[in-house]
Amino acid sequence: MTSSSTASGASGLGPWSAIVLLAPLTVLMFAILLYPLGLTLWTSLYDGQLSLRAYAELASSTLFLKVLRNTFEIAITGTLVSLVFGYPVAMHLAAQPPRRRTACLVMVMLPFWTSILVKSFALVAVFGNQGLVNQLLGFLSGGQINLPMMFNRVGVVLGMINFLLPFMILSILGSLLALDRRLILAAETMGAGPLRIFWKVILPLSMPGVVAGVLINVTLSIGMYITPALLGGRQDMMVANLVDFYTRQTLDWTAASATAVALLAISGLLVAMLGRVRGGLSGGAA
Amino acid sequence: MNPLFGSSHVARRLVTAAAWLCYLFLLVPSLIVVPISFGNSGQIEFPPREFSLGLYRQFFTDPAWWGSMVQSLVVAVATTVIALLLAVPAAYALARSELPGRGLLRGLFMMPMLVPVIVLGLGLYLQFSNWGLLDTTAGVVLAHVMLTTPYIMISVMSGLQHSDIALETVASIMGASRRVVFFRVVLPQLGPAIAVGALFAFLMSLDEVVVAYFLTGTDAMTLPVKMYSSIRWELTPVLAAVSTLLTVLSLLIALGIIALQRKTEAHS
Repeated sequence: MTSSSTASGASGLGPWSAIVLLAPLTVLMFAILLYPLGLTLWTSLYDGQLSLRAYAELASSTLFLKVLRNTFEIAITGTLVSLVFGYPVAMHLAAQPPRRRTACLVMVMLPFWTSILVKSFALVAVFGNQGLVNQLLGFLSGGQINLPMMFNRVGVVLGMINFLLPFMILSILGSLLALDRRLILAAETMGAGPLRIFWKVILPLSMPGVVAGVLINVTLSIGMYITPALLGGRQDMMVANLVDFYTRQTLDWTAASATAVALLAISGLLVAMLGRVRGGLSGGAA
Repeated sequence: MNPLFGSSHVARRLVTAAAWLCYLFLLVPSLIVVPISFGNSGQIEFPPREFSLGLYRQFFTDPAWWGSMVQSLVVAVATTVIALLLAVPAAYALARSELPGRGLLRGLFMMPMLVPVIVLGLGLYLQFSNWGLLDTTAGVVLAHVMLTTPYIMISVMSGLQHSDIALETVASIMGASRRVVFFRVVLPQLGPAIAVGALFAFLMSLDEVVVAYFLTGTDAMTLPVKMYSSIRWELTPVLAAVSTLLTVLSLLIALGIIALQRKTEAHS
């Protein structure tokens, strides 16, 4: 009953008990998270002596620059496709009565719970050369049409959007559900057509969800490893695959580390932007 | 009554068509593995021409396959237990103490969620090759504990926010020691939140592939790593049986989490 003046009253933990409870996890995070990150940075800088040579080599390496361009191209394509298809899904969900919305949301969340390897394998079975879609196309066209949709850029983007869509949909859905429906009725009463209502009312008011969804998608896709490795061709290497390539194929740990640090910097920047957007959103709502 | 689209039928139909195309695209890949897994054991085919359990027989008679599944289950159970033992006390201390620097610690504990896994994979590979932990069960478990603790922390902290702090105060005033308050008052209220975190950690460890791929070789290979190399190099139909088993397990865990979350929401 000595420390009952604190906000949490007698249930508040003293500093020593808190330190004892926090110490094990803190030690683990220093040993298994910060140490390996520091080691990666050190490996990228130290090659007999401290230098920025690895970074200078990366900046002039055609392989790295090509992979970097691939990464941005694929991430942006995947994000845009997921936005174009995710938006109508979010609208459809927002228009459902709560019970049906839950049922539809289960379909959206199922891939979220499925292992990425199961999905990669299944996408090959659906979109591969002998896959479901090509069987159907072949049947309809009498064996004329066979679209190569796997082990190339299309395959990576398909795998990517299968992974990204749930995040985009949920982000936009949040904004649409918060939208005041009376505004739409008002616009309609004033004589606005459905397209005009969409452009002038719905889209602008759902922008926070769109921006957050786009940033989440780009952040998630920029570090993708499994999808390009399994569904792409040799031309579709992304930064994460390059880290693996330097580590296992050429055994060049310095280059691997410098590439990883570059990826960490890019994704850190995106996370910071996302934090600002989110902070701005919650600030605006409060 | 559909104010979002106004009264336009054309717009509604277009949106509905696009939405169902996406539902199919999201749903089919997760489910198509089930019929394929009961098909002919020689090749991947959909629709299967005959019903057979051959692929499951192949899975359970090949030590390389079921061995890696046992390994994955061992790693996931060990990861969950250790991650709980570390994360639950830490979450409790962050929520109930006024230690300076809590914000910083919280940021540190959440960091594994924000760093790309490939970066962690490389860092741990460099570290564990120095420490002699490459291709060991202990190494994978350590890495997975680090990766999964943030999710347990999030679940437990939100549980602590919803639990009744007055009960702890009362118990403490009545003379209960810290330890008694924690085990008899706090833990029982946190049950569902801890279970949600534990199930999530278990599933994450079971599905994790990138870090495990960097850290394991032939000895400590987990099921996702085995699947990864199999999809990459041979694309055997056994994958359909493995995928079905994994999907059923994931769905059961997801249902468990949803049921527990419903229960917690009903409580508060």
